[in-house]
Amino acid sequence: MNGRKLMVAMTAVVTVLMGSVTYGAVAQEAVQRYVRYSYQGSTAYGVVRGEVIQQLDGPPYESRTATGVEVALADVALLAPAEPSKVIAVGLNYLSHLGSRPPSEYPGLFAKLPTSIIGPDAAIEIPPDAHNVHYEGELVVVIGKKARNVSPEEARDFVFGVTAGNDISERDWQGDDLQWFRAKASDTFGPIGPAIVTGLDYNDLHVQTRVNGELRQSESSSDLLFGVDEIVSYVSHYVTLLPGDLIFTGTPGSTQAMQPGDVVEIEVAGVGVLRNPVVRKGS
Amino acid sequence: MTMRSRTGFCAVMSSRSSPGPPYDSPEPTGRTVAAREAHLLAPCEPSKVLAVGLNYRSHLDGRPLPDPPGIFIKLPTSIVGPGDPIVLPADAGNVHYEGELVIVIGRRAHEVSAAAAGEYVFGVTAGNDVSERDWQRDDLQWFRAKGCDTFGPIGPLIATDLDYGNLHLQTRVNGEVRQEQNTNDLVCGVDDIVSYISSYATLLPGDVIFTGTPGSTQALQNGDVVEVEIEGIGVLRNTVLRP
Repeated sequence: MNGRKLMVAMTAVVTVLMGSVTYGAVAQEAVQRYVRYSYQGSTAYGVVRGEVIQQLDGPPYESRTATGVEVALADVALLAPAEPSKVIAVGLNYLSHLGSRPPSEYPGLFAKLPTSIIGPDAAIEIPPDAHNVHYEGELVVVIGKKARNVSPEEARDFVFGVTAGNDISERDWQGDDLQWFRAKASDTFGPIGPAIVTGLDYNDLHVQTRVNGELRQSESSSDLLFGVDEIVSYVSHYVTLLPGDLIFTGTPGSTQAMQPGDVVEIEVAGVGVLRNPVVRKGS
Repeated sequence: MTMRSRTGFCAVMSSRSSPGPPYDSPEPTGRTVAAREAHLLAPCEPSKVLAVGLNYRSHLDGRPLPDPPGIFIKLPTSIVGPGDPIVLPADAGNVHYEGELVIVIGRRAHEVSAAAAGEYVFGVTAGNDVSERDWQRDDLQWFRAKGCDTFGPIGPLIATDLDYGNLHLQTRVNGEVRQEQNTNDLVCGVDDIVSYISSYATLLPGDVIFTGTPGSTQALQNGDVVEVEIEGIGVLRNTVLRP
């Protein structure tokens, strides 16, 4: 099959999937909340049981063996719930965010960096020469198994869970630079958390963004142009996904510049609230 | 000079293998293996792979010089070593070689000046910034054009203490010279690249930066043998495979 034929075939698959109203059976698995935290100077992964965290002996997407150690949720500082080897993102994936731009026939992917990832309550640092840094509230997929050439139908088996994310973006750099490296991947430009949640129907989760308590973005992941399973499948045809890798699925609606002192909250239904303050770097 | 084999990281001069990457733990373990008996792998395991676009005037072809430097992101899963195949994706029709000098970071670098950047460079290796030109032109960003599995061969070894601002670079396809230039023609030199990136993204030991490709490039075909040779480093040789 040559490239053009495959492209047509993939577009047809995508069209069929987008046209369908219902997705397959979901949420078979019990809902679990996984966190990474720091407590008394050391860091660990754990699973949340009510007000208690049961410590695990590794990342939940690699190992789910409890060590027997428990700590009160109130006593820890939560960290980014994953340590990805790759951070991938989808651009222009809600009609409400397209403006006058036409929808793409296949997902518009870009890369962020592991060093851009921060956790709940960590500061989003605006670089000294940045003047137009926007929030982008998003549903984020966490990969659970090595995924290579998987179909949309198989993709669910390779998704460990989901979290909330803020795909911080410097709009001037995004418009002017050769590629989006510093616009999307500067240090602290990828807050995620507060937990990775498994067993949710990620095809219908409400995503909300608030700045200083004021609602700025509000839409369901059911409006994603390319859904989670299609994105995972598409990526895996080019790039092998590994456990812990993240995919930011795209942001809805419009966004605005943040100012030092702002507090940005991304809330994903079933996941919780990811809250980060904004500061000027070096201040 | 250091290289990585199936059995560990090795210092070529002594052929003694050590348990960790040379940029983290350069102490030899005392075990040795004959260099010719080792199967060489990519000489480092980066947490990130960055690259500079349009960084030789000979490669601009009418395009303006990027200002600031045109940094883009490749992926750790695109890295392969000497002798590994460059695998053409099923729907790729226009995959080009790009021979390049590649920087290997030695120390955590955050907001370092160009004057200090040399202290954060562990060494250099040869790389091939494999690129699908149609996707590069048509896609929203260069994600799959530059980041596909096997699109980042590096090696055969990391060389330290070379004058990386003055190294001869040559790319050959099936023995025929296709690219030839000296790294002193880089528009944005190694120290400036490291400094610029470190003002936005913190660089970690083992991270690699492809510095840009000179001249013009052409599409690769199944069975082609691509060699990137850099003075003082050696020859990075990979065969192109369409499964």
